[in-house]
Amino acid sequence: MVNIPKVEPQLMASVLDKTEKGPWVEETEWDRHFINQTIKELVKKYNITWETSKSMVLSDDGLADRLFTAGLELALQSGLYCIDTHRRMIWSKEELENVLANTPREVKVGEGKDEVTFRKRNMEENSYVGVIGGPYGIPFPEELFIPVIKSYAQEPLLDIIDTPSLQTTYGYEIRAGTPWDQLAVWQEAALTFEALRQVGRPGMPIGCANSSASPLGELSSTSYGGFRRNDWHHNSIMSELKVSYSDLIRAVHFSQTGAISHNFYNPIYGGYAGGGEGIAIVTVAGMILLRACLWGESFNPGPSHAHLSCNTFPPMIPAQAVALQALARNSNMILAGFLRPTSGPCVKELFFEIAALTIAQVVSGVSFMKAVHTATGRFPMHCTPLEARFAAQITHAAEGLTRKEADSIVIKLIEKYKDNQKTIRAGKSFTEAYDIGSLQPTKEWQDMYEEACHEINNEFGISV
Amino acid sequence: MSKDFNFSQGQDILTNLLLDGDTDQAMAFTKITISDGISPMEYFEGCIAPSLEKIGEKFESLEIFLPEMVFAADIVQKINDEILTPAVKNSTAQRIVPLGKVLLATVQGDLHDIGKNMVALLLRVNGFEVLDLGINVHPEEIISQAEREHVNIIGMSSLLTTCLPYMKDVFNLLNLKGTRERYAIILGGAAPTPDFAAGVCADGYGHSAAEAVTLCKKIMETRS
Repeated sequence: MVNIPKVEPQLMASVLDKTEKGPWVEETEWDRHFINQTIKELVKKYNITWETSKSMVLSDDGLADRLFTAGLELALQSGLYCIDTHRRMIWSKEELENVLANTPREVKVGEGKDEVTFRKRNMEENSYVGVIGGPYGIPFPEELFIPVIKSYAQEPLLDIIDTPSLQTTYGYEIRAGTPWDQLAVWQEAALTFEALRQVGRPGMPIGCANSSASPLGELSSTSYGGFRRNDWHHNSIMSELKVSYSDLIRAVHFSQTGAISHNFYNPIYGGYAGGGEGIAIVTVAGMILLRACLWGESFNPGPSHAHLSCNTFPPMIPAQAVALQALARNSNMILAGFLRPTSGPCVKELFFEIAALTIAQVVSGVSFMKAVHTATGRFPMHCTPLEARFAAQITHAAEGLTRKEADSIVIKLIEKYKDNQKTIRAGKSFTEAYDIGSLQPTKEWQDMYEEACHEINNEFGISV
Repeated sequence: MSKDFNFSQGQDILTNLLLDGDTDQAMAFTKITISDGISPMEYFEGCIAPSLEKIGEKFESLEIFLPEMVFAADIVQKINDEILTPAVKNSTAQRIVPLGKVLLATVQGDLHDIGKNMVALLLRVNGFEVLDLGINVHPEEIISQAEREHVNIIGMSSLLTTCLPYMKDVFNLLNLKGTRERYAIILGGAAPTPDFAAGVCADGYGHSAAEAVTLCKKIMETRS
């Protein structure tokens, strides 16, 4: 069987060539000059500013367009930094214009009755927004892998399942960059297929692979009998605007096998990009460069607070919203929102963090939401399907809202959690917040969810 | 003369100059203060260290961002290299001794370093000498560098759970060599948890860069 690559090999070769032919730069010079200094200049040049105290979901199209121009200029001026060769990867204006012109407006993932189509979506559009749910990359033991996948996959509002990371494989430790990576990811695939079969959604697209840090897992398991080409394969660059050969190895594999790839980039709020204005600019640049370098079909920014690791910190919300608006207005990109709250299961504020950021992102033009990296995703087993269900309900309730309507709601929602967002409150684990036999929430967690829904219904008129 | 110098006022002046990134004025202020009879050690302990601590606190609360702290640390480095160290060499004054020497590494298999870099910077601005080995560092390299450089503390970081076995290797190899007790070992990053740290008998776990500094200070106090 002859495989038809989704990206011409010559095009991928031209990307790889940039890692060797671009100007050599010290990494400190990259961070200070090509990121920090350049972004500061662009903030001034394009007057990228807003008042967080007044608005959380901005409705300023002029600002969004200037932000897009600033982001494109950053992408052109700085490019990406290859950490393996210490070279700047530079694209010409013509190359980036071609990249933007040829970005797909539609992508199908999954198969059979479980196939899902995502389309480019505009701001305030009253159209379906997909939802990805799952214990995305959160460590789980082998014996809970099938139960936790089933608990998410049985939620009818979730369109794609995202897998956890196995803590061990067949009882052994998984070592990054070794054959253990391969074995773990093959086990991840097998267990996920089995869980989906048991819930009657065998064609449900899978966000993968999450048990391997190195590209070995993907190279091995996106193959015969493993993860399918129409699953949803993750790839990313690092902050700020840095790419490694590991990312490029995955990109070449996906481009030549035709596997659907989702690309993400998580700038650091408070890092070299600076504050809200800076992360908005670097987000726009990052999304454009993700497509230019990794050639995925869909894209999401997931900025991270320098200390809390979340993206629901109030000043980060307008930055994410306006960056998404800039991209939605000026490109065909299929964009996703991402939720990384500080609260965990059985902490009521979790629902308000989710609601605030979801609404801000849905009205800003995302085609789907990734839900939820609960408690910042760093605590083993600290996530449940209930918050993913809630995120999906909020997502659909926000379809068709205007940015102005969203703004007043988001401001009030933030009031409900901001004072307690001083630290990560990881809450309870999956086994403490869910009954593992019935795969249903405990009474404590269910009651908290119902209270939050009730409050949101009553106070904001949003039907969840 | 040193008795007349108002250290509190000096701290404020220096802090503002560091935050403004005004290298020339910060150097000039230091030169004048030293020439007025304040010893390099008194100046370091009475002005530089508290100023850097304040700047570190401002970063912890994100009143300022990482680049401002980096630039402030650069200026202090320049002050140390060009004014304080030569002044100490040319006199019988007491040397400026770092609080301790810390080796930092993102362990094998992991390429993420922004958190580790923040820890390195905050430790430096708080008076520690830092040996940063970078990313994807093999366990044996961590140990050989710790031995060669006579560090007090080994700090290991990872974002990825599949890199945790390489952290364990460092503990196991040190135990095999019989040199585990020479070093305090602290862990950070998204992957290790307090339970993991306790399981491998680490000397501490820090969730944030600020916690890492507190931990290192505490360790050096108990070890001195």
